[in-house]
Amino acid sequence: MLAIEADALRRTYTSRTGWLRPRRTETEAVRGVTFDVSRGELFGLLGPNGAGKTTTIKMLNTLLLPTSGTARVFGHDVAREPVAVRRRIGYVFGGDRGLYERLSALDNLRYFAELYGVGARDQKRRIGELLDLVGLTGRERERVEGYSRGMRQRLHIARGLLHRPDVLFLDEPSIGVDPVAARDLRRTVAGLAAAGTTVLLTTHYMAEADELCDRIAVIAGGRIRALGTPESLKARVGDRDVLEFEVYGVDEELLARVRRIPGVRGAAVEERGTAQALTVQSDRGAEPHARVLAALDGVRVGRVVSREPSLEDAYIAIVEDATARREPAEVTA
Amino acid sequence: MTRVARLPRLVGVGVRTHVSYMSRSPIEITFAVLVPLVYATLAVYLFRAAGDPDRLLTASVGAGLMGIWGSVLFGSGGAVQNQRWLGTLETLVVAPTPLALVLLPITLATAVTGTYAMGATVVWGVVLFGVPLDFAHPLLFLLAVPVCVLALGMTGLLLAAAFVLLRNANALANPLDTPVWLLSGLLVPVTVLPAWTHPVSWALPTTWGARAVHAATSGGDVLTPMLAALALGTGYALAAVLVLGRVERRARAAATLTLA
Amino acid sequence: MLFRFLSSARLVLVGGALSYRALFNWTTPPMFVGTLLVGPLLQVFFFVFLGRELQVADDRFHLVGNAVLAASASCVYGGTMAVANERRYGTLGAVLLSPRHRGPLWAGRALPYVLNGLLVSAFVLAAAAAVLGLPVPVEALPGLALVLLAGAAACSAFGLALGALGLRFRDVFLVSNVASSVLLLLTGAAVPRNTLPEWMRTTGELLPLTHAADAARRLTAGDGLDARLLGTELLVGAGYAILALALLAVFERGSRRRATLDVM
Repeated sequence: MLAIEADALRRTYTSRTGWLRPRRTETEAVRGVTFDVSRGELFGLLGPNGAGKTTTIKMLNTLLLPTSGTARVFGHDVAREPVAVRRRIGYVFGGDRGLYERLSALDNLRYFAELYGVGARDQKRRIGELLDLVGLTGRERERVEGYSRGMRQRLHIARGLLHRPDVLFLDEPSIGVDPVAARDLRRTVAGLAAAGTTVLLTTHYMAEADELCDRIAVIAGGRIRALGTPESLKARVGDRDVLEFEVYGVDEELLARVRRIPGVRGAAVEERGTAQALTVQSDRGAEPHARVLAALDGVRVGRVVSREPSLEDAYIAIVEDATARREPAEVTA
Repeated sequence: MTRVARLPRLVGVGVRTHVSYMSRSPIEITFAVLVPLVYATLAVYLFRAAGDPDRLLTASVGAGLMGIWGSVLFGSGGAVQNQRWLGTLETLVVAPTPLALVLLPITLATAVTGTYAMGATVVWGVVLFGVPLDFAHPLLFLLAVPVCVLALGMTGLLLAAAFVLLRNANALANPLDTPVWLLSGLLVPVTVLPAWTHPVSWALPTTWGARAVHAATSGGDVLTPMLAALALGTGYALAAVLVLGRVERRARAAATLTLA
Repeated sequence: MLFRFLSSARLVLVGGALSYRALFNWTTPPMFVGTLLVGPLLQVFFFVFLGRELQVADDRFHLVGNAVLAASASCVYGGTMAVANERRYGTLGAVLLSPRHRGPLWAGRALPYVLNGLLVSAFVLAAAAAVLGLPVPVEALPGLALVLLAGAAACSAFGLALGALGLRFRDVFLVSNVASSVLLLLTGAAVPRNTLPEWMRTTGELLPLTHAADAARRLTAGDGLDARLLGTELLVGAGYAILALALLAVFERGSRRRATLDVM
């Protein structure tokens, strides 16, 4: 049996403004999303902010009703059998909210163990195991308000695992967590998947997705733009060369100029402290180095590196494609 | 079967968790107690001026009941909103426990923390005004107060549900304060009110809870009003279960669980 | 000269109106009606029936007293919100950077609440008198308007002084919560002040609304306007206005030194 089946999920939000004469505006957050996750799989949902990742997760974990389409978790319909679904899932989201700050970690876990139906006799042992798993043993009697972000995130995970869920939904768990804590987090997640828990993970850290996920769906503008293993996604840009320029002060206009260079398939700029990183993807052998420098005339350029395409390049190519074409067909790699 | 057996523990752990959460802000507790103290003072002076010195304890206890009602009204009415602000609402809803059973311990906890006001007003009366602690039925008083708390806590569940269902809930909370004091006879016996208000009074669990507590203080039948309060509270809690079913479905449809 | 006066007047009126809309939490129609109109009206009924039962004072005493007190919800909380919410929304720093004189700036803040309080008192008085059948002589109306206005103004100044504490202390709304119940107890709006001990009576003399309530009671009883009570109320209001400005100035300077402005 499949762990998760999503079939043509759609979700529109209606918002009302004004009191006496309300005006309704509708936004389509998810516009027909279809995918399956097998039991024990670690599945990644990648996409820019506002792409529909969180909305998709909330439809699958019963917090939101789909506007149309269906979804099942271990065969239970998320709209019609929410309680059956809730028994089998855990939900963990990023950020530092969602815990009772004035209580200790232990009190938080005891309370949620009760709500998640962990048997009275089982609770003590289970809580001990989980505190060990997330490395909070010894700190469990301290109030959560004194915890660091990483510790809160680990407590969140422990909370999500109390009832041994078959499926764990992790919505951007590493947001705002420092690199060391993020590495520990990845190790924990990988361990869970190895032990047979199905995991659906959303993130915008490519390295995290590349390291962890068996398969990845890239979602943008409420649709799945690409779906496959990290390798197959990377293969989409395998016929390209990637050049990375360290630059200072590249704007949209210059970026458009770079994109118009023959042989260039895509360009993106990312802020890195005081500098920017300009990534240029081109057809293999197009050698656009000199032409890019010419186009950047007047901009200070630092180091230039040529490298193999990464998952991030594949992701950028897919998302740029989606925004450029506006209404593309869904692709499966 | 196991799920029914789990119920007392679920409620117990829930109440303990939320009472200790609500009790850990000294400033909130202080201020929740201060307002009833002002009312207790006011009531004592009024009763004294009226030449009713044997009702001074009634005044303290009545002000304490006001405090419990205030705590339930604002705490339970805002229960869902508070959890939304804490960011815990989604994790509570995703739990396999029905929403009504998740919220009931929270509303009970607001009633329990309301008893701080009762303790404070009684002690205040004794220490400042030398109000004699001559309870007619001291033991029954110690029974009537928890029963009153239980009944009000269950009623709080209906408030919690109704306040989510109706927008602008806070607009309802503020004006609901005094009429309930008035209609349930917390300080003035309901008999002085116009006859048409009596059915409203009878429908309020505060009326029966207050009657039981007052009877235990100054004499009279305690058990009948106590049972009436419990029955009404249970009825309101059951009504709340029905409303919450709708509330949850609507929240899932309208995406109102998060802060946004 | 004239230009400077007009510019100050503009700051008072336009700035005040804008800040009222931005910072007052209760401007949605259900909140306004529920909290500011229905709530105080029900409180009048509560005390009138309590008074009838205990026979300490007549209907007029409780009705008029509580109607005057009704302004306190708008004025005390409004004054608090006018300053404290600025801090909550993180905009206080921008306001304090303004080079304008603090007097008109804060006075403009308080003005909408004065009018709001006046409206609330007038409504509660009219509605309660109509429902409970208390006759109010027509010739008393101009005097009543004046007395209610003075009460609302004094109370708003009181609220602003409490709001100033919001520049320094975090949980200022809890303070205003207690302050409004203290007003209930000590101004004699709900309890005849002769039943209170000496020190409480003296404190009541120094609070807003005490004299306005007394003056309003005389007016509704047909005894005419007592200029001394009105004057005392205005004097109390002026005292709080000066206190508010002083506190605002002190805390403004203090917050620059301690950098507490952006701390929630």
